[in-house]
Amino acid sequence: MKNQSNSAENGTQSSNGGLVPKWINLSLIVQDVSFFGLGLIGALIVGWAVFPAILYSKQPQPINFNHALHLDSEVVDGIEGDTPEEKCQSCHSFREDGSFAGIPKLEKCTECHDDPESPLGETPEEKAFLVDYVGHEKEVPWLVYSKQPDCVYFSHIAHVKMGKMACAACHGNFAGNEKLPLYVENRLTGYSINIWGKNISGLYLNKTYADRMKMDDCAQCHTEKGQEQNNACFVCHK
Amino acid sequence: MKITRRNFIASVVGGVAGIQVTPLPWKLTDDVAIWTQNWPWVPVPSTGAVTEENTVCNLCPGGCGISVRKIDERAVKIEGRTDYPINPGGICPVGMGGLQLLYDDDMRFPGPMKRVGARGEGEFVNITWGEAYDILAGRITTLRKAGKPEAIAAVDGNVAGTTTSLLIERFMQAVGSPNYIKPASIIDTYETGNLLMLGKSNPMAYDLENADYVLSFGAGLLEGWGAPGRVMNAWGMWHDANPAKRKTKVVQIESRASNTASKADFWVAPRPGTDGALALGIVHVLIKKGRIDGRFVNGFTYGFNDLTSTEGQNQPGFKTIVLKKYSPAQVERITGVDAKTIIALADAFSKAKAPVAIYGKGKNNLNGSLYEFMAVQSLNAVAGRINRPGGVLLPSSLPLSPLPDFEPDEVAANGLKKPRIDGAGTPAYPFAQSLINHFADAINKSAKSPVDTLLVFSANPFFTVPDGGGFKNALEKIPFIVSFSPYRDETANMADLILPDHNYLEKMEDNVWPVGLQYPLYGLSRPVVEPINNTQNVGDVVISLSKAVGDETGSAFPWENFEEALQVRAKGLFDAGGGLVRYDSSNPAWKFKAFGNGQKPSYSSFDEMWEAMKSGGMWYRPVKLATSWQGLFETPSGKFEFVSQKLQQVISENSRQTSEKAALDQMGIRVAGVEALMGHYEAPKLGVDRSKYPLFMVPYEMINLSGGWIPTPPFLYKTIFAGQLLKNESFAAMNPATAAKYKLHQGDRAVVKSPLGQLQVRVDLFEGAMPGRVYMPLGFGHTAYDEYQKGKGVNPNNIVKALNDPVSGYPLWWNTPVKLIKV
Repeated sequence: MKNQSNSAENGTQSSNGGLVPKWINLSLIVQDVSFFGLGLIGALIVGWAVFPAILYSKQPQPINFNHALHLDSEVVDGIEGDTPEEKCQSCHSFREDGSFAGIPKLEKCTECHDDPESPLGETPEEKAFLVDYVGHEKEVPWLVYSKQPDCVYFSHIAHVKMGKMACAACHGNFAGNEKLPLYVENRLTGYSINIWGKNISGLYLNKTYADRMKMDDCAQCHTEKGQEQNNACFVCHK
Repeated sequence: MKITRRNFIASVVGGVAGIQVTPLPWKLTDDVAIWTQNWPWVPVPSTGAVTEENTVCNLCPGGCGISVRKIDERAVKIEGRTDYPINPGGICPVGMGGLQLLYDDDMRFPGPMKRVGARGEGEFVNITWGEAYDILAGRITTLRKAGKPEAIAAVDGNVAGTTTSLLIERFMQAVGSPNYIKPASIIDTYETGNLLMLGKSNPMAYDLENADYVLSFGAGLLEGWGAPGRVMNAWGMWHDANPAKRKTKVVQIESRASNTASKADFWVAPRPGTDGALALGIVHVLIKKGRIDGRFVNGFTYGFNDLTSTEGQNQPGFKTIVLKKYSPAQVERITGVDAKTIIALADAFSKAKAPVAIYGKGKNNLNGSLYEFMAVQSLNAVAGRINRPGGVLLPSSLPLSPLPDFEPDEVAANGLKKPRIDGAGTPAYPFAQSLINHFADAINKSAKSPVDTLLVFSANPFFTVPDGGGFKNALEKIPFIVSFSPYRDETANMADLILPDHNYLEKMEDNVWPVGLQYPLYGLSRPVVEPINNTQNVGDVVISLSKAVGDETGSAFPWENFEEALQVRAKGLFDAGGGLVRYDSSNPAWKFKAFGNGQKPSYSSFDEMWEAMKSGGMWYRPVKLATSWQGLFETPSGKFEFVSQKLQQVISENSRQTSEKAALDQMGIRVAGVEALMGHYEAPKLGVDRSKYPLFMVPYEMINLSGGWIPTPPFLYKTIFAGQLLKNESFAAMNPATAAKYKLHQGDRAVVKSPLGQLQVRVDLFEGAMPGRVYMPLGFGHTAYDEYQKGKGVNPNNIVKALNDPVSGYPLWWNTPVKLIKV
């Protein structure tokens, strides 16, 4: 009892072993700091690890298409083109009116894979494709990595034919993939993580343009290539 | 350490501080904002390959060329084609909304169906096409075996002369029933009038584009008359922004200030039903002032001057009667139009270089009056406007090959000998081919319906026949009703069996001579999308049905499918030669060129022509005037007949049994002698106590509301004004003076009551409405289709009390005596 009088006049008399003024309750502070720290660390874990894991769903593509195989001219012939860009365009083509056809429809695949009974290779993927899709004349519901919101007007032909850009510059290297990457989609917005960027912090210190496809990435590239006028709002938001 | 309240709060504070330096709150806010942009009801245009498919719109007999834009397989927009002769890039609102008729699931039948539940509830269950054919063919065969094929009746709303219509008529003949009925439209009035005055039922051809003075007797030029795409383009030409180029004056004659009247150069408002008197009043002035085309009248007409009959009696001519009975003062008394105005109209008409008097009633969906039309044609004749640029042209019909003849079998032949239920073609109505209002009447008046099975094609008579609900009642009495409609319309909801047609964008169909066009045009529409539902082209269905009924009927249809039948008829176009299958808007087909417009057909075989027609949708020949009036008319006199000898023959024949008075009475004619044989005005005998029903109800049509069998695309309801439809109540327009008599104000509710029924409306005060009349729009009051149409407003047809038009027998639907009761 006497120890807890904590009178101000007697600064040296404390229950704390004399290291700090006795009106400071060290054990309380330790408790405060520890619980604060617990909360803090918990929040950091939730924010940096749990949140991204819940926010994003991971879906495999309906068919695990092998780009590398199809672009290997020793295995598959029929993909026309000399440059990598021309090779891409032999399936991901431009229509006559200049619009970009995007992911090819079934009729492109059936140019070669036309008979559900006779697969061209030995993979179970191709078999599933022939049975479930070609056999039923059903389009494959591909999940699109680069789908922008519909407030965005993007012209492929302006970038590919006029800007002479490589496909991989924005889309990364698909040509070498033997498997299609996992499609990771933000459950709340419905957009692929390729748009927002794989780094949950949203910070990129040394990024390539293939890491992210948000508006400031487009703007940054426009500026670098001396096309600042294309950063006016109405160019993309018609 | 214990978890005390303090410790807990400390950890929460730590959590909150920590969460700020994680992406969670920042990214979550951003993502939630994006989430709100993607809610499912926000419309998003689809992406995909863009294609444009050209075809011809078949929603009305106008036949405008349309271009349908598709994204992948989905049609997304309809626009008018610039490379089609009749509508240089233009299209009417109903045509633009056509995609809603294609894709509205609630409004369409998914496939063949049969009724379950009570009649009229619209409860159906899906069946297969095989079952549907079995049920219907079975029923028809049973009737034929019992020797009663005439108990089958068909209502066919397809335009006369189209292949679909011919096949349906042929089916009825092969089966053995004379009861093939078409709802009456203005085309019937034109055909009968032309038959009497010109000797042949030519297509009505008004050379609007070349006229410089258009005197429109009731034709709703901006309400959808004729081919709307064509008329609106002509209107644009007439009202060029550059006043120097504007050479045409338009005078609209109707009792209400419609859009057409409001935008015309002059609006003249005679009492409804008196247009004929006005026309003859103008003729009177022209004759008096000697401003008639003497060469035409004296050389190529019959009945203008007095005649001495074979018995030596003096028979007055058209001129004598007009001079005696249609002076401006007399016409003023009849019509309410100032004598001064009548004289001014006559002056303007005669001074114009290329005037034309056109006749119509609103949109043409309903018939006009025969004598009124004859009076207006007489005006054209007197001024020498027949076969002249800008006037009434007399082109021959399209040179389509007829379908090959066939012999009905014995059962059918016997059935065809029986009298028609509607009395068309009998002495009372000698020129009528169908009388739908009398058909319904006959069924209602019999104890047991003479019709066992009713087939309904492209028509919705429950809603559209102006007979005070007569057809509605008749439907209740008919034991078996089959609808071929793609839409869940009122008549289809009363049916027992549905064999749904394709929507117009899903089928191939022909469009034979758009109404009022002055050059031959055959339109061919083709499917622009794959059929969405399990439907079949009604032409194919008729062919299949005939084969299902039996070999005898099937042999009358020696074609695999409907396209073959179309080709059989189109062969005549190829054989006739001179037809063009592509159009360039810099060379309009109505621009008269003395030596032809230099275009030659671009095909050398029928197959080439047919393929070109399928992709272009047209076969046409530019406008051509006959070189002279000689040989142009096929009347008994070989001339234009002001006084119709054909009509005279018919009346004489009828009089032989009884007396002339009795014959005239039977045909509903209230004048005698020569006046009964020419265009004239006669006051209808209302047969109603006018003190009880002191007002008249006049239905009217609008371009942005469909009053016919085609449903109104829901988009168009957004174009209706609040003074026409408010929530679920439609308005009746009346002059403020009329409303004041009943102490009615704008928006008040009132009941419009005729001897046949009553409807509740809201009052719209409109100074453009003639006093003493109540104007109600046609197209509201549906009880079927989908949520956008059902239960909105009232249908004036339900209270129309129509007298019979003399001679033609069609309903006089524009003068129903009514009274107003304030609610």
